[in-house]
Amino acid sequence: MTAICAFIAMLLGIQIWLVSAALEALLSHDRAVLIPAALASLGLFAINGGLLWTALRYDAGQRMAAS
Amino acid sequence: MSDQADKAPREKPRWREDFPVRWAQERYVSRRELAKFLTLGSALLATAGGVIAAIGNRGRREPKAPEVRVADASSVPVGGSALFRYPTSEDPCILVRGQDGSLRAFSQVCTHLSCAVVYQPARDELFCPCHHGVFSARDGRPLAGPPVRRLPMIQVEQRGDDVVAIGIGSDDS
Repeated sequence: MTAICAFIAMLLGIQIWLVSAALEALLSHDRAVLIPAALASLGLFAINGGLLWTALRYDAGQRMAAS
Repeated sequence: MSDQADKAPREKPRWREDFPVRWAQERYVSRRELAKFLTLGSALLATAGGVIAAIGNRGRREPKAPEVRVADASSVPVGGSALFRYPTSEDPCILVRGQDGSLRAFSQVCTHLSCAVVYQPARDELFCPCHHGVFSARDGRPLAGPPVRRLPMIQVEQRGDDVVAIGIGSDDS
């Protein structure tokens, strides 16, 4: 779980960078990078959600096995 | 006797009185809760990215740029320039006449951080004074400084003494 938390935090850092880069591109009228940045951010969120779901599912499995 | 009383440890340290820690109100945050919180933040950032992309692409469905008379050709000598706004009153542009006598027009907004560029006829370049970006006044491509994208070109035609803007060139033009 600690490793998953660290990995999610790392991906979150990349998302923060993506959003700041997209904002800078928007302000400099560079529209070409906005949609790829949004898609990449969405993809990172999907990975984060998948990791969380996997961890919670594993956790639930362990609890059921223990009980 | 009094010394012993002074050296005797107090039941409650002084710092506990000044900075009380109420353990009953403390809450343990598990790694699962932290992971959920981080994933929620990830969702918010993904939403922010989508909102930024939506705002940036909102203006893409604008109608075709109109034909607008922007200057008198005779008022722009060789090595001179004139300012105009195209296609809307919020889009500053610059019309330049190069040493070869041809008229060319570009967006005046620097592609780095949106400062206004100025024409330097001696070098036939467009110069951004904010961060010393330099663009070619022939095709708008960046020559020096921080800009990496070319200035959008404005298509102009000379009709008699009128200079008419007829469209915006693509970024690759």
